[in-house]
Amino acid sequence: MPISNENIIVAEDLTISYDLHRERKKLIALQDINLEIKKGEFVVLVGPSGCGKTSFINAVSGLIPKSGGSVKVRGDEVTAPGPDRAMVFQDYALLPWRTVESNIRLPYELQDLGLSEEEKKLRVKKSLELVDLTGFEKTFPYELSGGMKQRVGIARALATNPDILLADEPFAAIDAMTREAMQAEMERIVMETGQTCVFITHSIDEAILLGDRVVVISYRPGKIKEIVDIDFERPRMNNSEVKISKKYAELRDHIWNLVKDEAMQTTRGE
Amino acid sequence: MARATEQIQYETDDPNRIQDVGWTFREVWRRIRGFVVTSINLIIFFILWELLTTYGNINSLFLPKASAMFQELWVGMTTRAPEGAVFSGSILDHFLHSFKNLMTGLFIAMALGIPGGLLMGGNKYVESILSPYVWALASLPRIALVPLFILFLGFTTTMQVTIIVISAVFPIVINAWAGVKTTEKSLIAAAKVFGANRVQLYYKVVLPYTLPFIISGIQQGIGRGLIGVVIAELFGGSNGLGYLIQRSADTFNTAMTFAVLLLLIVMSLSLINFTRWLEAKVAPWRNVNHL
Repeated sequence: MPISNENIIVAEDLTISYDLHRERKKLIALQDINLEIKKGEFVVLVGPSGCGKTSFINAVSGLIPKSGGSVKVRGDEVTAPGPDRAMVFQDYALLPWRTVESNIRLPYELQDLGLSEEEKKLRVKKSLELVDLTGFEKTFPYELSGGMKQRVGIARALATNPDILLADEPFAAIDAMTREAMQAEMERIVMETGQTCVFITHSIDEAILLGDRVVVISYRPGKIKEIVDIDFERPRMNNSEVKISKKYAELRDHIWNLVKDEAMQTTRGE
Repeated sequence: MARATEQIQYETDDPNRIQDVGWTFREVWRRIRGFVVTSINLIIFFILWELLTTYGNINSLFLPKASAMFQELWVGMTTRAPEGAVFSGSILDHFLHSFKNLMTGLFIAMALGIPGGLLMGGNKYVESILSPYVWALASLPRIALVPLFILFLGFTTTMQVTIIVISAVFPIVINAWAGVKTTEKSLIAAAKVFGANRVQLYYKVVLPYTLPFIISGIQQGIGRGLIGVVIAELFGGSNGLGYLIQRSADTFNTAMTFAVLLLLIVMSLSLINFTRWLEAKVAPWRNVNHL
């Protein structure tokens, strides 16, 4: 699915800060972020821990209030979560007392998407097919491996048929081999559905393999340091040419150099 | 939606990835192993006890024969005092009295403790108002309150039940409170992202998450409540198992004392195992390894 010219997410001078009550201080997580994300685009945010990547995603989802500036989705200011935006969480965030199917149906119970029971069933089925979990409808999350749990998390997000998929380090807790498989699935799913995806990762490889653009964010205050365009043909995941190409190595080196100084800062503490 | 329907291709040849394994000897043994081992263990224990008291030089005033204890228990549990008797020597009568009190006390403790704990977890103001009292009373050894309740309520069943309630309520309150407070943040975030309002957040996430906490609160409450039962009856009253322990020891009927102690153990373990079973039933995901 090609990227359109239409902006779907627009952040203008977005600032997010948190009150640190104990220290009577204010932590500025993100400062003056200006970012336009096009419909169908896969944007990856990289940066050191605590640089405000998650805050950006949370602001787009409507989970946290903005301290300044604006975030607009399709031209409307974000004030609360909405069915056009779905999220995939680092720790999966599946309700442990619900079966896989029941977890995926959760969004239908919480909001009225105007779907008939038949359409809901169909969507659940299709979501499970997309993440290759057909046959696990009645299984509980605690019976699944980490990779499978996250596929449920992705299926739940897909079941609402969102325009925007927000993913906060979804594969961080998954072992390296499963992770590569999951990255391939992620790429395939986004290619199939044509969704816009904002994806956070700590892995530069993951960023280059998945992203149309990689946004490097600096450490405290979080500002956009550089935006790197990645123009490898898709699908990249099962194309061994990509990873051994000179361009890949150069991109990797370039992004690493951008992130390195920031990462050093975090190890020095506040 | 019609378009979406066409896109779906049904896969009928998808192999069933979870296979059915039938009953094997190993599996049957795995299920009954605990029961068999415990039974043999207990039988050996009581046989050794019987041998020791029969052939050892032990005064039956201090340690009665196991058979005497079982006989006392059997007779006590199968006879009732005649109508209008002032004092009953029937274990069953006293057991029923204690059990009824315990159940009443636990029920009241749950009725107060569960909503109380949920409110404390859900509302900052309720929490800060109630928490000093909860901690104060929870940390006070409840036995210290017995003389006061006897003063207030006399040697009555109401007094006994009150002591059971005050013993059992705090573990329930504190567990329910902790359950609400420790509800995983990411589950709450997920529910919000997918459109939950405040009511749905409690109903769909916080309460189910807290349920196993409440059950372990009740489990602890049963243990504390039983202490309450015995204490209340030891100190003040003319009926109940606590009273019977006191009375049988005073009259040197040690076999009866042991019989009542055994009954208390069986009652306590049954109730606690029931709550464990309940916990495993409603919250298999917790996968708690019980001792």
